[in-house]
Amino acid sequence: MRALLPLLLLVIVTAAACNSGEPGASDGADGSAADTGALKVGVMPKLIGIPFFNAAQLGAEEAGEELGVDLTYDGPVTSDVTKQAQMVDSWLARRYDAIAVAPNDPDAIASVLARAKGRGVKVVTWDADSKPEVRDFFVNQCTAEGVARTLMDVMVEGIGPDGKYIIITGSLTAANQNIWMEEMEKYRRERYPDLVNLSPTPKAPGEDKAMATQVTIDSLKAYPDLDGIFAITSVALPGAAEALRKTGSADRVFLTGLATPNDMREYVKDGTVKKFVLWDVVNLGYLTTHVAVAAANGDLAPGATSFTAGRLGEVEVVGDEVILGDPLVFDIDNIDDYDF
Amino acid sequence: MNAALRIIRSREAVLFLVLVGLFAVMSWRVEYFLDLQNLFDQARYWVAPGLIAIAMTFIIATGGIDLSVGSILALSGIVVGLLYRDAGWPIWAAGGCAVLVAGAAGALNGLVVAYVQVPALVVTLATMTLFRGLAMGLLGKQRPVGDFPASFRWLGQGDAFPVPGSGAAPAYVPVSVIVLIIAFALGWALMRRSWVGRFTELMGENQIAAAFAGINVPALNFGLFTGCGLLCGLAGMFHTAQVNTALADTAQDMALDVVACVVIGGTRISGGHASMIGSLLGLLIIGILRFGLDLAGVPSQNTIIVIGLVLVVTAVFNEWMASRTSGEEQ
Repeated sequence: MRALLPLLLLVIVTAAACNSGEPGASDGADGSAADTGALKVGVMPKLIGIPFFNAAQLGAEEAGEELGVDLTYDGPVTSDVTKQAQMVDSWLARRYDAIAVAPNDPDAIASVLARAKGRGVKVVTWDADSKPEVRDFFVNQCTAEGVARTLMDVMVEGIGPDGKYIIITGSLTAANQNIWMEEMEKYRRERYPDLVNLSPTPKAPGEDKAMATQVTIDSLKAYPDLDGIFAITSVALPGAAEALRKTGSADRVFLTGLATPNDMREYVKDGTVKKFVLWDVVNLGYLTTHVAVAAANGDLAPGATSFTAGRLGEVEVVGDEVILGDPLVFDIDNIDDYDF
Repeated sequence: MNAALRIIRSREAVLFLVLVGLFAVMSWRVEYFLDLQNLFDQARYWVAPGLIAIAMTFIIATGGIDLSVGSILALSGIVVGLLYRDAGWPIWAAGGCAVLVAGAAGALNGLVVAYVQVPALVVTLATMTLFRGLAMGLLGKQRPVGDFPASFRWLGQGDAFPVPGSGAAPAYVPVSVIVLIIAFALGWALMRRSWVGRFTELMGENQIAAAFAGINVPALNFGLFTGCGLLCGLAGMFHTAQVNTALADTAQDMALDVVACVVIGGTRISGGHASMIGSLLGLLIIGILRFGLDLAGVPSQNTIIVIGLVLVVTAVFNEWMASRTSGEEQ
């Protein structure tokens, strides 16, 4: 009877190991003939099990199959950077040829990435960057300029080149948002000088949907001649949409911004929001895998200015950043093609 | 009593057998598992939960629990980071102060548990949020603190000495792993060879009887929680040094990971019986299991299912062992 526990444990573990053993077993075969075997590539999201990174997985696996590499897409079950580091260490133990990580913290992941690079593993960051010196390439989903221009163009389509708008951000210290707003202002002056920003200091409800709704309702009262609203975080946009729906102002005020299709689907379906912007996460996973593989087999070396990534064609390389390109514009016609 | 001792010993023997079995299966089945350097690299990640497990073994032996350990760890990391970067303190002064702050956090837990007599589960559930909030509030909108000096990073990343006889490319034993081994030895001595362990178990068995036997129950409880805080602070230093960054939102599952190790090790969750060696074996079993499954390419969501199953099986096994023990005593 006392043998029960060890026996049960061993059965579970062996079963689990064998269960996953299909790729594991072929690993073994490849490992013994490492030079002719497929490249081993690991792509790690910030965490697994959320729609955003599930979408990236689709793209990563598509590219993995296309390129014939042995691809692992896995990450921690919580957004814990220490767990990410621990998993990278396991991947190093498995002698991966290239790893691509979306770090939960740029500094805390740097030690283990530096160790990986030191062992000759090609290191790519995606979704968010780490320190430049510890990775070979960063796959940037968009440039600030690209986001800003797409947002402004969508707004002008909605309210014309001489409308009045306000901006709702997250917090006033959010780095990404601040750069985007700078670029938006630059592009406005250059391209649409008659557009008016009624809120030189943006509204900052924090990362809180209910607050974003409240701020929007207040702004509708405070600016009676308002034509358009930018809500440039994935929390602010659904929050602002909720406000337009509640107050029935969707016909009077044009709302756009950045958010995921799943968060916005209902507002697009009922006409509250006509168009909004985000990069294509599936393509981000796809491009990341292409970059990791190309870095490992030498097709992408420092100094390149462009890179051919499968069905995406030519993508731009600036220094050591590979750029996915202009963000996507979502509307009623294409939103159901995306699930993240 | 002798019979009971034998069975307790044999429980640890069973765990040891499980560990050996796991090791054997992994070595045989999983490629790259049997590589000393890889194992040592992984073992660095067991140091913080291991240090805390030593303290948690004492606390669970009293029938209590401390859910705030992860938050105290994060708080100590933020304190050392801010004192070093913003206040310009020498790193070791900052580190010492951070450990003391963690000790004070543990003392607050102990104060409320021992002297206000609120159940430890409730108190530490509350302070788990409180200390996490403090860590986040202290850091505020600033970036997490990075770039610690090399002497501090050495705690988490340094190598002590090469393994004798491991050849031209020797495997190095991490500094932090040696500290963990020493800490477990001290924890074992405190539990098995001093009055602290005896009183702790007696208190977990029956608080009233312990008080009648002349044990200052509140003082002991207060001391144990304070010690737990100090160890969390120490763990925080190794954790922070390892990733070279003080993060406010780190180690959120720490309490559950640690309690799992201790309970697998055979320390009774209702108090009264502790096993320090069991806690170490529990830590190793979970660590080896996680690493081996990762290496085998098992997706993370399946890994946590397996670890959950192991916990269930162990819990059933421990209940069975306990009922057998009490059966023999009668």
